[in-house]
Amino acid sequence: MSGLGKVFHHEMRKILKEKAILFGFLILPIITLFITVGISLLQPKTEQSKATSYVMYFYGIDMEKTNIGSIDDKQIWIEKVEEAPEQFIHSEKFHNCDVLVDFSDIEHVVIYYHESDSISNYMKMSAESFVRDSFDQVYKTKHAHLLFRTVEVEDITLKDNNNRMIAMLLPYMLILPLTANIANFAGDTVAGDKQRGTFYQVMLSPVPPISLIMGKILSVSLISLFSSGMYIGIDVLGSKICKAMDTKDVFGFADVTVTMNQVLLILLYAVLLCYLFSNLGVLISLFCKDAAQAQTAQLPVTLGCTLASMMSMFRLGTSPSSHYLIPVYNICLIFQDLLNGRAKMENMLMVALSLLIMAVLVMVITLLSYKSEKVRA
Amino acid sequence: MITIEHLKKTFKKNKVEAVKDVSLEIRDGEIFALLGPNGAGKTTTMRMLSTLLEPTAGTILYDGKPLEQESESIRRRIAFLTNEIRLDGQFTPDELADYYGGLYEMDEETIHRNREQLFNYFGISEFRDRRYETFSTGMKQKTSLAICLLHNPDTVIFDEPTNGLDILTQHLIEDCLLRMKAEGKCIILSTHILDLVARLADRVGIIVDGRSVFCGTVPELPESQGVKTVEEAFIKLYKENHEEKAIIGKRGKE
Repeated sequence: MSGLGKVFHHEMRKILKEKAILFGFLILPIITLFITVGISLLQPKTEQSKATSYVMYFYGIDMEKTNIGSIDDKQIWIEKVEEAPEQFIHSEKFHNCDVLVDFSDIEHVVIYYHESDSISNYMKMSAESFVRDSFDQVYKTKHAHLLFRTVEVEDITLKDNNNRMIAMLLPYMLILPLTANIANFAGDTVAGDKQRGTFYQVMLSPVPPISLIMGKILSVSLISLFSSGMYIGIDVLGSKICKAMDTKDVFGFADVTVTMNQVLLILLYAVLLCYLFSNLGVLISLFCKDAAQAQTAQLPVTLGCTLASMMSMFRLGTSPSSHYLIPVYNICLIFQDLLNGRAKMENMLMVALSLLIMAVLVMVITLLSYKSEKVRA
Repeated sequence: MITIEHLKKTFKKNKVEAVKDVSLEIRDGEIFALLGPNGAGKTTTMRMLSTLLEPTAGTILYDGKPLEQESESIRRRIAFLTNEIRLDGQFTPDELADYYGGLYEMDEETIHRNREQLFNYFGISEFRDRRYETFSTGMKQKTSLAICLLHNPDTVIFDEPTNGLDILTQHLIEDCLLRMKAEGKCIILSTHILDLVARLADRVGIIVDGRSVFCGTVPELPESQGVKTVEEAFIKLYKENHEEKAIIGKRGKE
């Protein structure tokens, strides 16, 4: 592929000389940092460590507020709650060490707690014991037909981890600017070159079509890959800033862990995704007369990708394997899974494979299109 | 030498027959002027000669070798310059020369030598560090020409090279064409300026409605039509061969 390096180098230099294009690739990710960190800073932090007492809240049962002892110089209280458990556990009143016992259905008692330290564990075990004793003493004697089942324990921290805010937002935050930026740059590098007449000058040279096309695609891919890296890096930086400033972890930045294999697969996704979008952008731009027309022609792709990433934001829990074959949507699902700590290797490989097949397919179509009369006329 | 035989081009999209039947012979060491009214098929013919478009039918032979089989090696030997073809505005002439020289796999020494010669000849040496986009129309055309000729092509195709240029730049380009002719290069020139044809061209080819209607030397053109000037001969040939006129003529006879 003689000339590939020359075309690639030239295209990269062209990008670096274009300040307007660089804005979208570099400045935009930095702006998102201020947004994410800013939102975290605006949220009031629940000061769990400053709790003056520990409380065992009860919902669905009448009782007076009662002191039942103390631990570590702090009083333990039992108290009735009127607010529904789902709302109450997210309120400021419910501290890290507290527990909430949902007694609304005696056959299905749920205990909510934060698995954060030994105190909350102690409180949870005390609540479980209290529930069993209450059932034996009060309900079993009065209502013999009632079958007491195992107490369900709901770990709020774990529940939060299953749907981190960052897992919902990050795929959308990545896909939208990525597709918009690639549409802009691919449009300029191909259709813009056609408009300016510089595309034909290169077509007239002995450089093989594959070198010319690949040179352009790779330059768009590299800069978009760099942009994606900026977004991910910005999010990591955001988590560090939030941690350092001791703000409330609104986005669920903290404790996101990925294995080395997953990191390598993420890198592969990023490369394939950037390459695929860049190739698609170049393919569409080949058939356009100018950059503006190319950007308009790429709108359906940008909107489709935005829609797919938006749809992933409303996904709760896990998805069937077949969903990991839907282009773009599958990338969002995998990113969510990774950030929520439930990614399966088979799904990750399926996504990588589907991306690879699509990238090769689009590349073949692009090379065939290069010979098209509409492109060359 | 370029031999064109029964060249035809029909655009698939709109089914327009831009070139219907063109046969020409262009020799080395001559300036061949390609004439025809707007929309006659001159640019399409030149685009096929430069490998940008593939013919629907017919053959183009470069020194007896078919273009479709040797397109990559032929592209190394030709230069094509039209008003539509421009260079990247963000780069300086020096940077552009390095880039295009690299695409033609020229070594650095050759690039440097050819660049210095061409830049000095076209008077762009003092602007070599300025961006192409900041140049005037004439400077842009001179830079494009210098870059086009950097790889020392033996066939040069020019589509209206002096359009919109001042008299000094026109004169420089005319001088350049004569120098290349003296070097034995094959030059194809498309223009509407018949005075330029009369002064520079050795042979001429006329295309009307996608068909070649004349191919011969400049003096042969008025002689063959029984008129005195190239212009009169061109108009006569056009009137005789223009399809709309021919149809009206036929109807008149009926």
